[in-house]
Amino acid sequence: MNNLWGDRAWLAAVTIGVIAMSALPFVANDYLVGTGLTLLMWLALTQSWCVLSKMTGYVSLGHVVFYGLGAYLMVVTWQQLPFVLVILAAGVLAALFAALVGLPVLRVRGPYFVILTFGLAELVKFSIMAAESASGTASRILFGTPDLVVVYFSMFALALLATGLLTWVSRSRFGHGLRSLRENEEAAETLGVPVVRFKLIAFVLSAAIPGMVGAVMALRSTYFVVGQVFDPMISVTVIAMALLGGGDDARGPILGTLFLFIVSEVLWVRAPLAYMLILGAVLAGFVLLAPGGILGIVDSARARRARPA
Amino acid sequence: MSTSAAAPLLEVRDLGKRFGGLTALAGVSFSVSAGETIGVMGANGAGKTTLFSLIAGNARPSTGSIALDGQRIDGLSPDKICRLGVARTFQIVKPFPGLTVLENLRTAAMFGRVALTDRGRADRHAMAVLDEIGMTELAAAPAFTLTLAAQKRLEVARAIATGARIVLLDEVMAGLTGTEVAQMLETLRRIRDSRGLTLVVIEHVMQALMKLCTRIVVLHHGERIAEGTPEAIGRDQRVLSVYFGAATT
Repeated sequence: MNNLWGDRAWLAAVTIGVIAMSALPFVANDYLVGTGLTLLMWLALTQSWCVLSKMTGYVSLGHVVFYGLGAYLMVVTWQQLPFVLVILAAGVLAALFAALVGLPVLRVRGPYFVILTFGLAELVKFSIMAAESASGTASRILFGTPDLVVVYFSMFALALLATGLLTWVSRSRFGHGLRSLRENEEAAETLGVPVVRFKLIAFVLSAAIPGMVGAVMALRSTYFVVGQVFDPMISVTVIAMALLGGGDDARGPILGTLFLFIVSEVLWVRAPLAYMLILGAVLAGFVLLAPGGILGIVDSARARRARPA
Repeated sequence: MSTSAAAPLLEVRDLGKRFGGLTALAGVSFSVSAGETIGVMGANGAGKTTLFSLIAGNARPSTGSIALDGQRIDGLSPDKICRLGVARTFQIVKPFPGLTVLENLRTAAMFGRVALTDRGRADRHAMAVLDEIGMTELAAAPAFTLTLAAQKRLEVARAIATGARIVLLDEVMAGLTGTEVAQMLETLRRIRDSRGLTLVVIEHVMQALMKLCTRIVVLHHGERIAEGTPEAIGRDQRVLSVYFGAATT
């Protein structure tokens, strides 16, 4: 349980990462900048997912719903409101939606919560699909979106925000309360943790970031299809990244996102046919052999090295 | 005239709980003064644990009222009741298995009545409790690695670390060996006296109850059938008949 964030190695690695990602748009071509943007997107989504699901053990399979809502808000308000304002509004919209559905949804635990969040995301997807087709819109195209560099740095800010949020939560009294209720909700409540309020706050915090991320990604793709921004694979990928990373602080999502992102990119280029097969095998291997994720492997290696002293 | 001296710390009046058609508790009344140690006796299914769940807020009473220091607490959520100074342990232990013993107590210190929001202060408070209960060397151990006896001690330590004024202990000696029971008794007495705690104790280990308590309440099928000093309870014909099937008539 030693705090690796305090470690110089970690601090150095994160600093180098931040500098490298800041420099990227000035030295790389559009393709690479776009790739960097995607990486930052996954990082922001995974960090924010962990705020609820890693901290409380309420595994959400519906994280994409907030992303989709944010993207949709950007698309329907496009060229009517300044996009920076809409990005912030998308965060507020997602947070409000979480606050609205949170109380009933967070009453169920375990597999029921997983299924419920998945169903809720699908429900919202099909509702918006119906609304769109009723208004005769199959898809939408955004004209005059901001430059890629602007989009990139917006996402960078969100990735930093999400990382900062999980770092703060995992170290705070609030986070200790969330961990306690994850371990045993009834005991936590009986020891004074306001579990209902804490779960709701975690859910709302966890929702705001994907709302903004969705809005920014709408600027990036410029082409909007409902099924794409509410794609359940986005939720699944986020969970895979979080599980691969392990732990319940901001280090896990960084490791997991980087690992899965690099492996996917390499496989996509080198072995397009076996891509999903190999990816599946890697995930299954982790779940079976290293349920603690990369962080679990790192920490136990450190513990082994530290013991014989 | 001092009214506070007369007002009991905990007052349970006409308390009842039904689960569907099953009556777990019916019209139970008793009061506990500050500094007292009250025993709750009764066979399995007598309603002892239900009584604790109602007082601690884990379940809502169907009838009756519960007052702490003259203030109604029935209907409040468990976390609010804890912050007001009531802590309970669970008969079937509920540790935070993935957290260390110290982290288990940190929750109580941060969120309980003492409300030590600063982590350093919370941990110092928690370590003092662990020291008093003789678990210092286990502070860094994950709770799931503890033996049953140690997990029972952890339940007690965590409840005390909330800074509670009144602690409800639900069979904290059940399943322990004779030596462990003696140790637990000694620890409870010491902590009760050093912290000025009021205890309500559910126990099947009768000897322990007799040694620890000033007064005993006996429940049978959800009703209070007797109340008195340990000696009086030991002679009570109804209690004896319920427990040992002694002929009364």
